[in-house]
Amino acid sequence: MNAESGPRPWWREFGALWAFGIREYRVWQSYRANQVLWITNLLVTTWLFFLLGHTLAGSAAQALGPAYGTNYMSFIVVGVTVNVFINTNLSDPYIRIARAYFNGTMDLYLLSPMSIYTPLLGLMTKSLLDDYPRLFFAGGFGILLFGATFTYHAWWLALLFTVVFLAAGFGIGLISASSFYLLNIKKGTEPVQFLIQQILATLLAGTYYPITVLPRPLQWIACLIPHTYAFDALRRLLDPGAQPNVPVLPIQHALPALPPLAVDGLMLGVLSVVLVPLGVYLYGRGIERARGEGTLTRWQ
Amino acid sequence: MQHLVELQHVTKVFAGVEQSLRGTKLEAKGPALWLRNLSRLARLTADTAPPVHALADISLSVAPDTIFGLVGRNGTGKTTLLKILAGLIRPTSGTGQVAGIPLTDPAEIRRRVSYVSTTGWMGLEWPLTAEENVRFFAALCGMPARLARCRTEEALRDVDLWGERHKYPAQLSNGMRQRVILARALLFRTPLVLLDEPTVGLDPVTTQTILALIKVRLRERGQTIIVTDHQSAEMAQLADHLAVLRDGRIALQGTPAELLALLHGVTVIEVQTAGMDLPAGPPPDLLLSSRWEERPGALGIRVWHILARADAHTVAAVLDWIAQPAQPLAGQVVLLAESPPQLADVLAWLEQPPTASSPKAEVRR
Repeated sequence: MNAESGPRPWWREFGALWAFGIREYRVWQSYRANQVLWITNLLVTTWLFFLLGHTLAGSAAQALGPAYGTNYMSFIVVGVTVNVFINTNLSDPYIRIARAYFNGTMDLYLLSPMSIYTPLLGLMTKSLLDDYPRLFFAGGFGILLFGATFTYHAWWLALLFTVVFLAAGFGIGLISASSFYLLNIKKGTEPVQFLIQQILATLLAGTYYPITVLPRPLQWIACLIPHTYAFDALRRLLDPGAQPNVPVLPIQHALPALPPLAVDGLMLGVLSVVLVPLGVYLYGRGIERARGEGTLTRWQ
Repeated sequence: MQHLVELQHVTKVFAGVEQSLRGTKLEAKGPALWLRNLSRLARLTADTAPPVHALADISLSVAPDTIFGLVGRNGTGKTTLLKILAGLIRPTSGTGQVAGIPLTDPAEIRRRVSYVSTTGWMGLEWPLTAEENVRFFAALCGMPARLARCRTEEALRDVDLWGERHKYPAQLSNGMRQRVILARALLFRTPLVLLDEPTVGLDPVTTQTILALIKVRLRERGQTIIVTDHQSAEMAQLADHLAVLRDGRIALQGTPAELLALLHGVTVIEVQTAGMDLPAGPPPDLLLSSRWEERPGALGIRVWHILARADAHTVAAVLDWIAQPAQPLAGQVVLLAESPPQLADVLAWLEQPPTASSPKAEVRR
């Protein structure tokens, strides 16, 4: 919509992202009651695991093993809060693309000279307002109400693991979003996100229990997704009494020369390097395919 | 003269819809379809439904500073053609350029084209007010904030919506929403503006306002306009040059006067009937075509437009045919008038199957 040629300057992309941010803020603002309901839901979920932890008492703590300390509440709070975080990066891209398709706004976004990735990132800014702050609520409930304790001496390393984990999750999110156009999955459950987040991560990654309680083959399957390494690393870094050098994951046992945290970092890095470019490529291909077929929006 | 738009042999074929064995449309109905789509990615299977040929061998040129009208009935490919020109979808084959940019570079084309479509309230952001909607689009396109503020006000004033700028789309009427969408296209001074049925569904007064806006304001700015519509009366007063699309092809093109000249020597007999049809028997030999529509606002009154050769013998024969005594007249003829053909008559005549006496066969050749 302007006569400039060549690649659009990066600050123009940021301007578009900012416009999306304002728009998402307006949407968020109009559903404030929803925040109260979400906090209630979060409180109930955390409480549930607190009660579970108490019921299982010492046996739950014992099952944690030396690697993750002895406080089951600390263990569970890391699982719940990080799950909130990653769920956004992993599930949001598909949901946002679907919304733009059914609202008929994808045509509008792609009419502008924006990068094809800017609308996706822009629509996800709602997560910055809505989902990410929930992390602090989940953590806060655990600490203030249910006796979770943490140590913060390696907070920067924990932050680094979190960032790399979020990047890997976003890579999966992009692959999930690309399925909307590439595989024509426009209704119902999206299989990539469902398989990784709802099945593998929930069942195998160790969100609510250490993966050592699983049969060995399932532990190896757990090593295919980034969640497993993120949970393992963050618990070693944040849970008091955790012993960073005791291996837990089968891949850590298989690589005894490397400290478990290094294995976590290495695997998260590898997964990010593979998943992010793959997601970027597939998403771009999906958009181009939709452009060719004229199916960018539902309204043609 | 360097044309602003040039297309050569452009076609667009949409892939067929995936169908189940029972013929119902499949859209993400489970793992079976996912797997089939996966295999399609690897080009192992074909679509189960036949593809749709939306455009077939379109070649056209649009000169700068003109208003180019694309007319045709629903489903003739008007929107598909505009979307190709806007860089939104890729043609299946053919070549061309838009504002000096080849069709193979849609990103560059999008910088030089404003596109407005009211289909599905295209891109209207419901959580934002009318003013915010326009400014949001300006921001997406990278317009500096101060300029965006000025242009937004100017555009909303142009479409007579400045007084309603704080209203949300849900609080606006359909026509007002359409004007918000139109205001978005007025933000930019792109060389080419594409308007897809900009007045569809609008009341006559608003339609005239929009037409005047297109004809005067956009032209003042030196912008070339391609506009689609199936309301041929509006196109006749708006466009400098017209192309008539039929079944994805350009059936005719020329200035409105040139198209009207095709019906030289033809007269239109308008018959309004209440509670009756015209005789079912074969029409007189020299009848070129006939069509009817319900008169708006008058229940049961049909308006017949009969094209016949404009000579006394033919007109008399047609009148005899209408009033033939064998026809049991349950209703009545409320109006009978004769007038020169309009553009709508040209289009209606095009839609009729060619007859031996029709000059259409010659035009087609």
